[in-house]
Amino acid sequence: MRHPSFHHLMTFTFSALVGFGFVMNSPLARAQEPGISATEITVGAIGALTGPLAFIGTPGRDGLTLAFNEINERGGVCGRKIRLQYEHASSPAESIAAVKKLVEQDKIFVLILASGSTGAAAAADYVREVGVPTYNLYGSTPIIRKPFSKNVYHGAIVPVEVASLGLISMFYDGGNAPKKFGVLAGTYAFPQATLKAVEEALKVKNINYIVEQFDQTARDYTSQLVSFSRQQVDAVLFLGSFSEAGFAIKQSRELGMSQIRWVLDGSAVSRAIIPIIGDANGIRGYFNTPAFPGQTEAVREFESRLKTLLGSMPQGRPNNYDIIGYGSAYVVALAAKSTGCQLTRAKLLDAWSNLKNAGPTQLGGLDITFPESFTPADHQGNYRLGAAIVKNGVWEVYRVLEKP
Amino acid sequence: MSDKRFGFAGLGPTVFILICLVAGLALDSYPKYVLAITIISMVIGVALVVLVGLGRCITLASGSVMAIGAYAATLSMVHLGVPYAAALLLAILAGAAAGWLIALPGTRFRGHNLAMVTLVFQSVCIILIREAKWLTGGAEGIRVPPPSIMGWRIASDSDFLIVIGVLSALIVLLMTILVRGPFGKNLQAAAGNEVAAETFGVSVPGYLTAAFVVSSAAIAFAGALAAPRIRILDPDSFGVLPSISMLAYPIVGGMYSVWGGLLGGGGLRVLPEFLRPVADYQELFFAGLVIVVVMFFPGGLVELLRRGSALVFVRDAKRGSAPIPAAAASPIAAAAEADASQVLLRVEGVDKHFDALHAVNSANLMVPVAGIHGLIGPNGAGKTSLFNIISGFLEADQGRIEFGGTSLLNLRARDRIRLGITRTFQHVAVFGQLSCLDNVIIGRGRNAVFHSMQQSFEYFIDGPGAVAARREALVALQAVGLVDQAHSLAAALSLGDQRRLEIARAIISEPKLILLDEPVSGVSESEVEGLRQLLLRINAERNIAMLVVEHNIPFVAKLCRTMSVMGAGRIVAEGRPAEVIAMPAVRQLYFGEESAA
Amino acid sequence: MLAELGNILIAGIKFGAIYALAALGLVVIHKATKTVNFAHGAFAMLGAFGSFLIVVHWQGPYWLAYLLVPILIGIIAALIEFLILRPLRRADMFTVVIATVFLGIALGEAFRLIYNTELLAVPGMFVGAPFVVSRVFVTKETLWVIAGALVTALACVMLFHHGKIGRGMRAMASNVRGAQLCGYSVDRVYMFAWFLGGALAGLTGVFVAPITGVSVELSIAVITAGFVAGVIGGFDSLRGAILGGLLLGVVESLAAAYVSSAMKNCVSFILLFFVLMWRPEGLFPERVARRV
Repeated sequence: MRHPSFHHLMTFTFSALVGFGFVMNSPLARAQEPGISATEITVGAIGALTGPLAFIGTPGRDGLTLAFNEINERGGVCGRKIRLQYEHASSPAESIAAVKKLVEQDKIFVLILASGSTGAAAAADYVREVGVPTYNLYGSTPIIRKPFSKNVYHGAIVPVEVASLGLISMFYDGGNAPKKFGVLAGTYAFPQATLKAVEEALKVKNINYIVEQFDQTARDYTSQLVSFSRQQVDAVLFLGSFSEAGFAIKQSRELGMSQIRWVLDGSAVSRAIIPIIGDANGIRGYFNTPAFPGQTEAVREFESRLKTLLGSMPQGRPNNYDIIGYGSAYVVALAAKSTGCQLTRAKLLDAWSNLKNAGPTQLGGLDITFPESFTPADHQGNYRLGAAIVKNGVWEVYRVLEKP
Repeated sequence: MSDKRFGFAGLGPTVFILICLVAGLALDSYPKYVLAITIISMVIGVALVVLVGLGRCITLASGSVMAIGAYAATLSMVHLGVPYAAALLLAILAGAAAGWLIALPGTRFRGHNLAMVTLVFQSVCIILIREAKWLTGGAEGIRVPPPSIMGWRIASDSDFLIVIGVLSALIVLLMTILVRGPFGKNLQAAAGNEVAAETFGVSVPGYLTAAFVVSSAAIAFAGALAAPRIRILDPDSFGVLPSISMLAYPIVGGMYSVWGGLLGGGGLRVLPEFLRPVADYQELFFAGLVIVVVMFFPGGLVELLRRGSALVFVRDAKRGSAPIPAAAASPIAAAAEADASQVLLRVEGVDKHFDALHAVNSANLMVPVAGIHGLIGPNGAGKTSLFNIISGFLEADQGRIEFGGTSLLNLRARDRIRLGITRTFQHVAVFGQLSCLDNVIIGRGRNAVFHSMQQSFEYFIDGPGAVAARREALVALQAVGLVDQAHSLAAALSLGDQRRLEIARAIISEPKLILLDEPVSGVSESEVEGLRQLLLRINAERNIAMLVVEHNIPFVAKLCRTMSVMGAGRIVAEGRPAEVIAMPAVRQLYFGEESAA
Repeated sequence: MLAELGNILIAGIKFGAIYALAALGLVVIHKATKTVNFAHGAFAMLGAFGSFLIVVHWQGPYWLAYLLVPILIGIIAALIEFLILRPLRRADMFTVVIATVFLGIALGEAFRLIYNTELLAVPGMFVGAPFVVSRVFVTKETLWVIAGALVTALACVMLFHHGKIGRGMRAMASNVRGAQLCGYSVDRVYMFAWFLGGALAGLTGVFVAPITGVSVELSIAVITAGFVAGVIGGFDSLRGAILGGLLLGVVESLAAAYVSSAMKNCVSFILLFFVLMWRPEGLFPERVARRV
């Protein structure tokens, strides 16, 4: 049935498809340091732009873009403009492909991981081998941080062992003394990582607690809440997304459980929880930056600039990923600048490992993130968390949780 | 297709993967990586051609099956210290087991219910992987250790490309052999027309189960190959959405050939790399693409390219009419004059009730050796029920049916062919997606799953068995005058020719009896006489007895030597056609009712 | 203890009522056209999005959402029937299932392109303290959802069984050729069935929006629950769909509360599996129709 010419055509077509674009990018002039030209510094980044994790990757791209635009308007760094090459990647397989493309084909100078935990973990595993300076913005799981690598840095997101202590301490704020703890955790990657750390911390402190779980995007928490109510839980730590928390809290009210102190540890931290619950006063949660959107002049200014960039502001934005993206872009620029403009990767790693209090303000940006400091042995830039509470229908950070 | 090229054409997909591999070795690290996972997607595409294309089973469980392979290999390496090569084998076994497990309920359903059953499997699998934290690392994922095969540490992009390319080429070769051979044809037959397939010994549940097992084993293998390449395994990467994307592979590429799987899997995996500037729109684009393909190009890319190549390259004019060896072309020597008094099929006192309806009421019937017996009766007389009882698609409540001294009761429809009974169908039941030649070859019987798998290897190298089968089929096609159409798709024939094809398929196994279910219904007036001549000739030359159910009374009268008339579940008359038609009871039954109608 | 059970049952019935509505739309389309619409969840998501646009974005009144959204989604569904399903009418079930599966994905992604955010929140129609009867809590919103969804569902059953167009759909369901001979137009009946199914999906979306918010994940949640409820009910039985939805909601809630909260999603799958294997005609099949 098959025709000889057909078979050849098939082979030809596909070889052409595979060859196209791959062969074209044979190394050009390699003398220059990758990603550095006389006028430009190329920064690569990956994150999900489509699919279920797009709510992380898209704000990441927007925050980074906003900050790099500002830096470039002020003349850039070391006389060069920063160019952001942002690639979509979600799963580990996609993340490795995207990172390889950025490193090998686009010859980027620095890599930013703006993807969820598992994608970032797979990419980090690869960059450990190739040595490109890498900045992990959002990955919280230990699998990304271990083993330590001299070219991988972590930014605003605090390691779970540190965050869990801060979260627990928020239950005692204002002289509160919970009798029985409940932990309500999502079954997906990031809440599970936090859950492990939280359980260890609770055990160390000899605190009595129970755990209930829910699937990602769950909307009915009745059974979990009933179980809490049965055990007379009066303090619930929620590990999941803020919107999931919103529905859980709303239902707890409907079940008459109004005496619970809620502390939220979540992804996609934003104001969006308030329209879900209505009256959210008294709910606590952390924020990865010193001020919630709307709380200070600087954050309000950030929001209006972001709105200008995007044209309109979708509900649920800006979230923590927008703000962290913005602040992290400045950290990258500062690291480049502090090489004394000797822009090689080796110098950059040296300079980055000695950055102190790096943040947007040092380059004229908005003061909306915690400044980050690194040492050659500790590549975690930030250990601080904002403890936030809803007051009069708006979130505000009421104290800063320092590294314990 | 000329006979000489048969073996070579089947090597195409394997050679293609090897070419990709060799060409890829010259590329940079990024394209090498992309090529490696593209080849893995090609394997998945081919595996899904078996299940989705040939078996027409919708599966939303591919992601979980891939996860089973990836985790089986990784966990056995991490926890048991099993070497990579053995871990790959374990993955294949795990995949086959998973396929079998899905098939247990899966073969009972088609369409949307099957989609949901596979979705259940998919979801439960992912939940189990997520919950078994102590074993799998849970939702946070697990790091895959760097593999090595017999002391060779697979580390560089080239190493991976070589391992993945070579092993994928191997598995694709195996699947090509199955797809192109009797296994693939029989599977298509089972999916295309269950009743006809069962008649010729193709067990529909058996083949569908085999399709699930084979394709799941291959997908699991692909997962195990991919695992060290993607470094981190986590359950959510193998969720429902990836399963749906994989379902698109065979559909976009082309569902009926190995090339379709290669093109679909490879193309859909590599395309996003080129669509990076418009990544936001990627998923929407792919979903839209599938809908467009389903609506306008049901054959997928392969069909499109085939049509394109047909336009560009002029076809050899008279391709396909392979000469039939002279010795075989002559009809099988007429057997000794049959003893017409000897009884071949005897039906005695058969009863069948449907609730209150007494469809068949102690019917008796007899077909002599090499005789032609007609069964007529008005609508609702019960002839179809009786016919179905004889052919094994209905169970009688009581009575006896003997064929050459063997009882047919308690014998499945597909086992009748071994005794020498075949049939045709009222609504033509040819396997439309197969060529006429392949249709007839299925008629030879001997279609058990494992046997057809073995046969596939013989067909691949075009061994003597394959040559013989093809020759027999051509002889049968010649007997019905369709030898010129041997390589056309059965679906493309006229209704009359499809009826002829059914007859060819029914006679190739040299049966003793053919059950003809309304052989001229819907056939144009001009073709009726031709079919009658054909049947008479087959009866005379091959001594095959026939039992004919038909509404066209003149046709039956001229064809049959004896006939029975049914009315209200009973046999009301029996004898030579002219005598029977003259009987008052029969005239009453027919014309009485006709005038009332 | 009894109060606890009461609270769990009420939550189960609330979600069950929504499942019932989702299943009903699926069943209406399947009954008349023999097509299972895997894009049904996406229709419901679009309905929820429509409700967000009217109530939050344009600050319109809630009743407008209940009025407009079903009609709009119904029209979209009828259009899709015309553009995609009609050309596929001669194709087999396999092709149609695949087309609607990917249609659902396409609609979800189109939504994500317009609003790239994790979730759009929609406020409830009613606010205020819940009614309390011996420690069992019922909010106005819960009452509204349960009553509203069930009344709509019953109205739909009445329409199907007693309305003129309902007769057409039923005739089409039992015998296409016969129905055509009786003067029913296949095109018109199919289109109306899709319109009605789409409208029910849209309404499901409006009811569900304050309970779940609007996100792409909503479409998978709705289609799975609707399908399982439909299968439990017998897939061709409208009353079965309603009972199946309620049963699924209640069983899910009970299992999550008394077995394990991680079991919640498994329960519907286990139910589906057992019904398909041992009672493929469903738990509440329609009484066997009189033979024509």
